Amino acid sequence: MLKTTQRIALGAVSALALTVAASAGPYDDYEGETLIVNFPAHPHFDAVMRILPEFTAETGIEVEVDQLPYLKMRERQTLELAQDEGEYDLIAYVVFSKADYVYADQLENLARYFMNPKLADPAYDPDDLIDGYVYNIGFAGGNKGYLEGKTGSLFGIPYGSETSILGYRTDIFEKHGLSVPETYDELLDIACRIPELEPGMGGLSSRAASGHHASHAFLLHLAPLGGRIFDDQWNPIVNNAAGAEAANALKTIVDCGPEGSTSFGFGEALGSFLNGDTAMFLDTTVVAGQINDPSKSKVVGNVGWALHPMGVRRGSQTGGFGIGIPANAENKEAAFLLMQWLTSKKGDKLVALAGGNPSRFSTHADADVNAKFPHMATFGEALKHADPDWRPIIPVWGKINADLGTTLSKVLTEGLDVQEALDGVAERTRAVMEEAGYYTWQ
Amino acid sequence: MTFERQNPAFYALLAVLIFMSVGPVLLMFVNSFKLDVDIIGGTTGLLFLPTIQNYETALCDILWYELDHLDFCSLKFGGALINSLIIALISTGLTLVIGCMAAYALVRFRFFGRDTVSLTTLMVRMVPPAVLLVPVFGLWNNEFCIGKTTLVGAWIRDIFGGRGDVCLAGTHSGIIIIYVAMNLPFVIWILQSFIVQVPRSLEEAARVDGAGPFQVFFRIVLPLIKPGLAAAAIFTFRIAWNEYLLASALSDRNTKTVPILIVNNMSEFNVEWGVIMATGMLLAIPPIIFTLFASRQIITGMTAGAVKG
Amino acid sequence: MTAQTFNRMTPYMFLIPAAVTMGIALLYPLGYMIYGSFRDWDPSQNISETEFVGLKNYITLFFDPAFHESLSVTLIFAFTVVVAEMLIGVGLALLLDRNIRGISVLRTLFILPMMIAPVVVGLMWRYMYHPTVGTFNRTLKSLGFEGIDWLGQHALLSVIIADIWQWTPFILILSLAALQSLPASALEAARIDGATTWQQIWHIKLPLMMPVLVVTALLRLIDAFKVLEVILVMTEGGPGLSTEIVALRISRTATEFRELGTAAAMSNYLLLLLLFLTMAMFAISRIQEARAARLARQIEEESG
Repeated sequence: MLKTTQRIALGAVSALALTVAASAGPYDDYEGETLIVNFPAHPHFDAVMRILPEFTAETGIEVEVDQLPYLKMRERQTLELAQDEGEYDLIAYVVFSKADYVYADQLENLARYFMNPKLADPAYDPDDLIDGYVYNIGFAGGNKGYLEGKTGSLFGIPYGSETSILGYRTDIFEKHGLSVPETYDELLDIACRIPELEPGMGGLSSRAASGHHASHAFLLHLAPLGGRIFDDQWNPIVNNAAGAEAANALKTIVDCGPEGSTSFGFGEALGSFLNGDTAMFLDTTVVAGQINDPSKSKVVGNVGWALHPMGVRRGSQTGGFGIGIPANAENKEAAFLLMQWLTSKKGDKLVALAGGNPSRFSTHADADVNAKFPHMATFGEALKHADPDWRPIIPVWGKINADLGTTLSKVLTEGLDVQEALDGVAERTRAVMEEAGYYTWQ
Repeated sequence: MTFERQNPAFYALLAVLIFMSVGPVLLMFVNSFKLDVDIIGGTTGLLFLPTIQNYETALCDILWYELDHLDFCSLKFGGALINSLIIALISTGLTLVIGCMAAYALVRFRFFGRDTVSLTTLMVRMVPPAVLLVPVFGLWNNEFCIGKTTLVGAWIRDIFGGRGDVCLAGTHSGIIIIYVAMNLPFVIWILQSFIVQVPRSLEEAARVDGAGPFQVFFRIVLPLIKPGLAAAAIFTFRIAWNEYLLASALSDRNTKTVPILIVNNMSEFNVEWGVIMATGMLLAIPPIIFTLFASRQIITGMTAGAVKG
Repeated sequence: MTAQTFNRMTPYMFLIPAAVTMGIALLYPLGYMIYGSFRDWDPSQNISETEFVGLKNYITLFFDPAFHESLSVTLIFAFTVVVAEMLIGVGLALLLDRNIRGISVLRTLFILPMMIAPVVVGLMWRYMYHPTVGTFNRTLKSLGFEGIDWLGQHALLSVIIADIWQWTPFILILSLAALQSLPASALEAARIDGATTWQQIWHIKLPLMMPVLVVTALLRLIDAFKVLEVILVMTEGGPGLSTEIVALRISRTATEFRELGTAAAMSNYLLLLLLFLTMAMFAISRIQEARAARLARQIEEESG
């Protein structure tokens, strides 16, 4: 059924394109080219798959998509970007790949394209892009190398970016007269009361599986509780009081969580919320589409949204994906046109309506989008508290992340002492940083 | 032949054993015809409406009709199935031809003793694919390449398209050659034990009639060792068809095989059990067919590996 | 070329394709790996651009607790699996070694698990172990028991069970074959002497089967070190490092941590370990063979 509506929409658009073509459009030179792009298997990019036919109809540029799970995608890109001539014209990358790719000179600096009057769309309105996302995902070379700053410049545009949000079961909360948690104390308290109130139900479903997932869940709590991985001199401080508190919070949440949650990845954590096995879900905004989809979710209509609870400060995560042009791409200019079209006001709204995550302020405020997805307003509010520094985006992060993730998993499953675990992480992190030369100036 | 009567407990044990070995496969088979809602919701047993929707989703890229339940075809399973078939069939064929010739030479021309061959086989069998991962990845991507400016390189790029230097990585041949090499020692070992049994007098007779060594090999020896060939073929095919690790390091988006796709599809955002089970079932079908129709050859191959070794 | 030289060249021509393939795709890569293990090597680098670091990779690994853990996980996994499978497999073979109808159908059903792709075996078991929708926990709960956190708290055990399911039939089939090729005269003689079933098993069947059993165990042990896909699909090495066998760690080091040099050094350690084990088992099998041959002769003489 969707196919037919799509085809009607396509017809309308191509009729439109015909009238526009008379005035020698910016896409004429690239008509008939085929772009090969690398996107992750991710709800946002599934939405992108739905709007891509529209781009082709409008511009005559074909797009071939290679969709991979995001950890696999990174492996593939590592290899592709290192070649003299790569296969991909446009790639989506995970936030923490930014450091590696820019450092290895593998992403195009976008200045060259936004300066080019034939390519840059005057109606693009870059100021409308959400600041936190742009600096977190697209920007490199600023403060600390990965934050906003005078020395930085743009290498990618946020697309499919996300922040964290608390989803809760309105029916359960009403039934027991619970109020929506606003602080971490309340959150942990309710998370552990739910299994008592509703036998068989877990409090909060969190990811906890060994590796990236456990590390992600920990960092999610670290920023609001006032912790950081490093201080300003790159000394690891993950083992201070705030770090221990965050790890304990994670442990409490997992202990009071649904059955089997120590092995949950993102999919399982979400699945258990969708299946009604747990009363709360604290993770990325990307899940909203699935929670409202009756074919996947048993909790349609029973989910409310609230801001990520506050510890000593507000600090929801910033994450997700950006899109950039590999330095070894073949059709860079056409790739830029696709990138610009996707992140334009129109593209952003289209993808939001198709179930993706918008990266513009105007889309969050858009009436059509809000009418279709009422939660969009809360999401927009959450964005104001998004913390771009919730995890360090430096080239050696992958290694530290893996160590943090496995060590925390040991805390959760093998009863390793929290302080001992974090001390170990800090010590190994220091060695990694030392080797990478972060203490050269001390 | 008479059969002994056994007590009922013995038959009960047999039933349990059969249930244990076949049960998981049946479970997967049944689940592949269920919708996700039915799998997760817990409608146990056989009380559900079977659907082929999971198979349609998996094979969406090679179906001739459009599917109503999908907006776009993300899982390019059909393509992977074709890649798997190409790679498994060609590598099996090559391994058999090369292995046969080598086994024949080793037996008839007495190069090394049988001990040397079995020791080599054991040594090669000892090497885990994971150990080959690093060097093969490096070599196939960076060393075994033809510059795109050279005559052959430019010619390949002209015909097949693609960019950069022409390397073994990302091609079907790259994966095939490693499978052939991995399977050769085992195939040589098995075939040797069959070739030894071919009476020399037959060959002598053919030679007297004026047949050359190649003719003797193809006309006389090959037909006589058919059972051995069948066993070797099944084992080679099985490894090439099932292997994941090396294929995942060496393939690109156009040469992905089915195991890679299945592992990729266990992705974090959506564990779609129904579709995964359907893909698993499709991957399991050829081995199941072999098992049902050629179990004798398989057992021959297995026992030749150990009992006669 | 005369017909004579052609004939003399024939054996070489028959051997060349095999030699060339194995040279290119096995020997050369192994040499390349040893060379690479002494270098600081990133996947994006050509090996000629890498830096020679001597034994650094080996030394780092030698003192790396994560590597120790994954080595011990591998050894525990391999030995548990082989011992359990040998006991169950040989036990079942002794039980099933009877003259019954339809034994060939049985054998067919038993080899099914081995033929199916490890990836598929992994996903079947991951489903069955699933904490809420999985078969095991559903059954447990419908019987009124608590569910078990299979892939969380008991991950290694769960992985071992799956491997036992897949590979016990291998040992069963080989043991059956061995039992059926035992000299009938020896068994007949024992029966006439009035040996009980147990005595027959202990004093005649098992010792005579020994050479086959040792080879079987050796093959299983080697293969147990190769298991990767089943674990990858079921647990991805987690939780913690509790199921991260060395093969998996090699692949993670290469692709996730992007340290090809270290991964190569790790591969070499694994290869050395396997070489040692294979040699040891090979020696044992030779000794056993000699002993079994002596025993068989002895029985023949006694009965003859």
